[in-house]
Amino acid sequence: MRNAWMVVATREIVVRALNKGFLIGLAVTIAMIGGLIGFTSYMDSRTESFDVAVVAGDEAAATALESAAEDATASDQRIALSVVRVDDAAAAEAALEDETADAWLSSGTDGAAATDGAAGWTLSGWREPDTDLADLVETTVREQVMAERATDAGTTVEALTAGSEIGTERLDGNPVDPEIVFAAGFVLAFLFFMGAVGSGAMIAGSVIEEKQSRLVEIIATAVPLRQLLAGKIIGSSVIALSQNLLLAAIGLVGISFTDLSAMLPAMTATMLWFVVFFTVGFVAVAALYAVAGSLASRTEDLQYTTSPLMMLLMAVYVVTFSADGVLERVLSYIPPASIVSMPVRVLNGDALWWEPLVSLLILVAATFGAVLLSERAYRGALMQTGGRVTWKTALAGDRGTTLGA
Amino acid sequence: MSDLEVRDLTRVFASGDTPRRAVDGVSFTASSGLLTGFVGGNGAGKTTTMRMIMGVLAITRGEVRFGGAPVTRHDRREFGYMPEERGLYPKQPVLEQLVYLARLRGIAAPVARREVLEHLDRLGLAGRAKDHVEKLSLGNQQRVQIVAAIMGQPKALVLDEPFSGLDPAAVDAMADLLREHTRRGVPVLFSSHQLDLVERLCERLVILGGGRVLASGTPDELRTKGFTRHRLVLSGDAGFVRGVPGVLAVDVDGSSALVEVHDDAAATRLLSAALERGAVQEFSPVRPTLAQIYREVTS
Repeated sequence: MRNAWMVVATREIVVRALNKGFLIGLAVTIAMIGGLIGFTSYMDSRTESFDVAVVAGDEAAATALESAAEDATASDQRIALSVVRVDDAAAAEAALEDETADAWLSSGTDGAAATDGAAGWTLSGWREPDTDLADLVETTVREQVMAERATDAGTTVEALTAGSEIGTERLDGNPVDPEIVFAAGFVLAFLFFMGAVGSGAMIAGSVIEEKQSRLVEIIATAVPLRQLLAGKIIGSSVIALSQNLLLAAIGLVGISFTDLSAMLPAMTATMLWFVVFFTVGFVAVAALYAVAGSLASRTEDLQYTTSPLMMLLMAVYVVTFSADGVLERVLSYIPPASIVSMPVRVLNGDALWWEPLVSLLILVAATFGAVLLSERAYRGALMQTGGRVTWKTALAGDRGTTLGA
Repeated sequence: MSDLEVRDLTRVFASGDTPRRAVDGVSFTASSGLLTGFVGGNGAGKTTTMRMIMGVLAITRGEVRFGGAPVTRHDRREFGYMPEERGLYPKQPVLEQLVYLARLRGIAAPVARREVLEHLDRLGLAGRAKDHVEKLSLGNQQRVQIVAAIMGQPKALVLDEPFSGLDPAAVDAMADLLREHTRRGVPVLFSSHQLDLVERLCERLVILGGGRVLASGTPDELRTKGFTRHRLVLSGDAGFVRGVPGVLAVDVDGSSALVEVHDDAAATRLLSAALERGAVQEFSPVRPTLAQIYREVTS
């Protein structure tokens, strides 16, 4: 039958999609991503409000706070300030201790006008005052004091600071923050690792299930083993791919609600590259996992037969998300590391337009080779019962079955 | 006529340093329309032979022929096969996986579904179609497995231990089912180590030992191959049989003796000697059971 692989692939997909463990794992991952994004955007959008104590008569502090509140609103800093007036320093300290005030701003003059300029402005908290609040107040106080002095000196702040701003410029034309690139590398490596190991383990499990029960002998008489393997690889690739597309889409949609939304076009391109690379690369991973399944003789052997693959994928995971510079450039051409490294370089902006294409070609060639080799080993090992099979004996032709082609 | 024929089938396993001949020059025919029993102890080579017939295992030497020509992958696709181990997909419902297996053999899903339900109904499993296979008892799993083999009117049936684990009623139901296929003119080859069962069911018998065919034929042919034994019952003491030339006394007990007579002359000598001593109440051949023949040929 020519379309047997479709029947096999359909079964793999349906059985997998209905598998409770798989669904729970996916739901947990989605919940984690959603939770992370939700938390980030909540933190971003939240307006923090502070009650700041000012001692009666300390008009400088009160004025500073008022203009700080205005500044915060004007510059969209999401900080709200309200002034709590207290009688004296002791009352201010008490307010801090019983938490009716978050901080206490003192101009250090106890109501007297600042004369010598050495008066100590202090922002006190029961513990260390909030840094956002401190930054805001510090800026406002500095401006206020400078404005006073400028007036005293017969000039203006603007005149004093004119021409002192430093503009920044990035010559590679890439708007993406290096920290984002690092984070993206981490996320892609994680998606790759999760997708490859999760779906790989499932394909190995499905192979050993058929081998252990000798069901594969029934199937092999009906369908060429090549078609059985193709169906399994395609089925699990579809699952792995849809899983990654789903997670990537949730991630991208999530990002659009956060401050990172400006990066979205660059991120989307990277994600698309990743999906393409992953799709090709996963076919090889799936084929190798199918061999790992066929080398086992019982489900218990899987841990042993899949461990070299696990090591490889783990190494890709660890190395790719931390790599940069020359190492990253090299890795972006070496499968399977290129699955993660090349998309990260695209995001980074340092990959020329042809680089992902060349890397993809290398990956396609490597995948092709891996699939051919796996197909032989799979056929060779599948009918060998009684103990674990090694790659060497699996590839030794005469021990296998005649039903392959 | 589509006989399933095995010629000089040999399989060498190159495990370790010494190659091991698991099957060594096995030849026999499972004729169409007949139940052929494949008998032998553990390690006799039954499973290996069956796996080679199905093409699951590569053949070292020899050939498998079907309908007078070398068997093709196309033929084998239409063979019903029941492998040594049982299980199917433990966590998939019975109906679903049988339909899946039928579809792999090229049967359209609706047709497969109808046929599977029919078979399940006949085997008393109609109510379990939606249950996972692992929830079924071993006997019922066995029934599901046989359905997997007989779906789609196979051209031949090759069944490894189809009766193991079945209760007597299930054995009869299974035997009826197999006979239905022999009536269609299909060769049915099945292995078993339950000799009484094989003796009762089979038209043909192949006894395997150490990878070789030790004996084959109809049960009657096999029985007559050895020396026939006779029971002799006299009015007096039967001890004299020990002295008759050409006669081997297997067992003497008072007036009765079990003897092996090597030729007709010896039989005449034995009878006339008996008549000289008095009346002969019984002189009859004793048909050996298959179990005895089996012990004889495998010893």
